[in-house]
This record gives sequence, structure tokens and C-alpha cells, in this order.
Amino acid sequence: MIVAQRKDFEQIKAAAADFRKVLVVGCGTCVAVCLTGGEKEAGILAAQLDLASQIQGEDKSFAVACVERQCDLEFLDELAETVLDYDALLSLACGAGIQLLAERYPRVPVLAGVDTTFIGINRDVGLWEERCRACRACVLTTTGGICPVSLCPKGMLNGPCGGTRQGKCETDPERDCAWSLIYERLAGLDRLENLSAIVAPRDHGARSQPGRQVHPAYLRRYSAHE
Amino acid sequence: MSKFEQALAHKDFVLTVELDPPRGVALAPLLELASRLAPRVDALVVSDNRGAMPRLSGLAAGARLAAQGAEVILTLTCRDMNRLALTSQMLAAGAEGIGNLLLVSGDYVSLGDHPGAKPVYDLDSVQALGLAVTLASGRDLAGQELDGAPRFCLGAVVAAQSDPLPPQLIKLKKKAQAGARFIVTQPLTGLEELQGFCRQTATLGIKLLAGLEVADPGQRQGVVGLFKEIRGSGLVAGAHLSMPAAQDDLPALLDACGL
Repeated sequence: MIVAQRKDFEQIKAAAADFRKVLVVGCGTCVAVCLTGGEKEAGILAAQLDLASQIQGEDKSFAVACVERQCDLEFLDELAETVLDYDALLSLACGAGIQLLAERYPRVPVLAGVDTTFIGINRDVGLWEERCRACRACVLTTTGGICPVSLCPKGMLNGPCGGTRQGKCETDPERDCAWSLIYERLAGLDRLENLSAIVAPRDHGARSQPGRQVHPAYLRRYSAHE
Repeated sequence: MSKFEQALAHKDFVLTVELDPPRGVALAPLLELASRLAPRVDALVVSDNRGAMPRLSGLAAGARLAAQGAEVILTLTCRDMNRLALTSQMLAAGAEGIGNLLLVSGDYVSLGDHPGAKPVYDLDSVQALGLAVTLASGRDLAGQELDGAPRFCLGAVVAAQSDPLPPQLIKLKKKAQAGARFIVTQPLTGLEELQGFCRQTATLGIKLLAGLEVADPGQRQGVVGLFKEIRGSGLVAGAHLSMPAAQDDLPALLDACGL
């Protein structure tokens, strides 16, 4: 899932200062699971903004809408009539959702209410951890299902740097060294030979931004029309 | 073959010292210090933004040192340069008469004083060794033929105090396979640490230089004692001395070590 955290309230308030009627748009997928931008969090933010504007004696209104997925046009269409009533949309989706919302409604300013942090896992209620950098060159088969690209701050592919102490990373004594985890796991599986070959430099050309992925069926469908 | 490589091959015990380029453009004091140190050691190791803190380029400083006749080992870190930048630095080093490289990952940026910098790590140290070997073969990583190939004696580092040690040893073996002719340890704290490490690396057949650092003046006597113990132990091919907080005192440290 995509994990995000809400921006600082003062920052959001400042971004919304130029607009009288603002629609806070939540997203019901990843950001709802990470308790950042779902319907409930959108409601709380709208209430906070409303209260702050009342305290300052401003004539503003903040309403709430939540769609299933802001990264999917199919779900954004349902806002078509609603957005006509607003001066700005304050999105609580991840960066992808915010952008598609902006693309779908080109005449309305779109504000970002969250910072997208990473692709991660749900460790516990209220605890998420990064696990994937979307590098397009997955090495998990050889590294025992533990990712050195996302879990090692240096993204080392041939083993640890010299900074490991008591299995922790030089960047943070609370952070596990990815290569210690990889070593322990492969040793336990009797598969340390996975680590013996020198790994060549990554092909960052494959990661040229922005990414685009096409399903073969999509190609067949559209080449048939040509 | 570089002078340092010859010393590694023929001397019982080689000695290197580490020099930081200035944080600024005042190179004269470094050149003066180096002129006093060069005759007393086998090579001067020029650091590269040590501790993730920017300084005058090691390449520029190393080129000046080489021009005044010093044997230089240029440190290059994967933290600050991608494969294009590393390639051009290595070629420049070769053109400037620098025949030795020490290739390191580099302390993470958050440990330095520019924690907001973007860390690079396009290559790791094993891959950087591979790059240097490729350049020495007359081609770059894209397979393009070079107009003149550099020749290097390559080195890398190891942390004897890594815990757990086995993954560090797996990488050390790769460094040796990738072309490292010598390995410098991160600063050691005692002879036992080195003995334990050497027991585990004996079969790798690497030329190990014991890293010894005087982090503050109070440690000097202890480091001198450890240097003598290590030299007497016959465990390593040499030593690498550093005094990051007071490198002007390196000549006095050599005096105290009886060098």
C-alpha cells in the first residue's frame, strides 16, 4: 500500500487561505488504511479548518467528499457536479491521486493535504513500514525476500557497508541493517550461496521517469483499431 | 606498477597516512604538510568528503600532491558520485599521475553536516572496483574504447568491528575478487579485534592495512602502543594512520611510533 502523512495544519490552512469554498476530498484506499486521508480524516480536517476560519471571523465553508480511489478516473467522475460549487479541492490522496484529481478537474485549483511517504506494509494499527522503492529490478528472489534497495539506506546490492553494529544501521541505532537480516534469513534457509556472486550495477535506465506500464491485452485492443 | 604497489609487493610493512583536503581553497598548508610526510611513508591517502562533510576535491588536492612527487592513494566515495562522475574522476586521477585508488561506499549523508543532500550510491564499492578494472582494460562501462587507459592499484576498506561479521566477510571476498589489491580496516581499538578478524580472513590472501586513528590528542599514547603491537604481531601488511582532528600533528605521531 501507499503510505502518506498529513501535512502540518498551519501549512494546509495557509494553502487554503485564498479560497472561500473548499472541498476536502478523501480517498478510500491506501490513505484510508494508514489513517491519513480517508473519509474520517477528511471530516476531521474540514472541521478543523472550519473552526479556524470561524475563530478568525472569516466567511468560509469546508465540505467533505470521499471517493473509493482518487487514482482511478472511474471514481473521480462522481464528483463532476459537486466540484462546480467549490473554489478549490483539498485532496488527501497520495501524490498519484492528487494529480489525477487535478487532471480530471482542470478548472479548479487542487491543494495537497498530505505528503506521500512510501510503499509499505501495515505492521500494526498505527504503524507502517517502508518495503518497496518500485525500482523495477526486483532482487527479492536472491535476497531471501528482504529488500536491500528499500531497507538499506545506501541500497547496497553486494553486501553491507562497514557501518553495521549489533545488527543495526549506521544511520539509526533503532534501524535493522538490511544485510544482517538478509544474511540471517539465508543462513537459516541454508541458501547463503545466493550471495556469493558479484551483483552488477543496477540498470537505472529501466527506471526512467515517469513510469508507464502497458498490459499486452491493452496493446492488442488498440493495435486492432489501427 | 605504482610505487605503492611495489612497496606492497616488496616491503614487510607499508605505511600510509590519511590527509583531508581543506574546507576552503587554502591548499598551501596541505602541500607543505604533505612534503614533510611523503618521504616518511609509502603513500598519502587523500580523503573524499570524509564523514559526509564537503571539502576541496580529493582529486584536485591529490593531483597537486602527485605533481610535487608524492605517492597518492585517492579515495573516491560512491555516496557523492554516480558511475559517470566516478568514471571521469578515475580517468582524471590516471591522467594526473595518481596510480592508486581507495574505493568506498562512504558514510551516509545524515552522519555529516549536509544531512539534506541526496545520497547517490549508484554503484557500491564492489561495483566501483569493477569500474576501475574496466577502465584499466581500456573501456568504459558502456564498452566504449578509451583514448588512453589508466592503471591503478586498487584498495577497499573493511570494518573489522562489524557485527554481525559474516556478511561483511562475504562482501570483503567480493572486493578481493573485484580487484582490490589491498584492504584498509576502519580504525581498530585493540590487537584482539585484529587477531579475531585475521583468523577469519586468513584464507582470503588479502594485503591488510591496519587502520589506526587518533580521534583526540588523549588517545595518542594508546594508538602508538597499539601500532607497535600490531607491527610486531606480523598479522598485517601495513598500517594506515589518521588524525582527522589534528592532521598537522601526523609528523609527531610518526616520531612517536619510531618511524
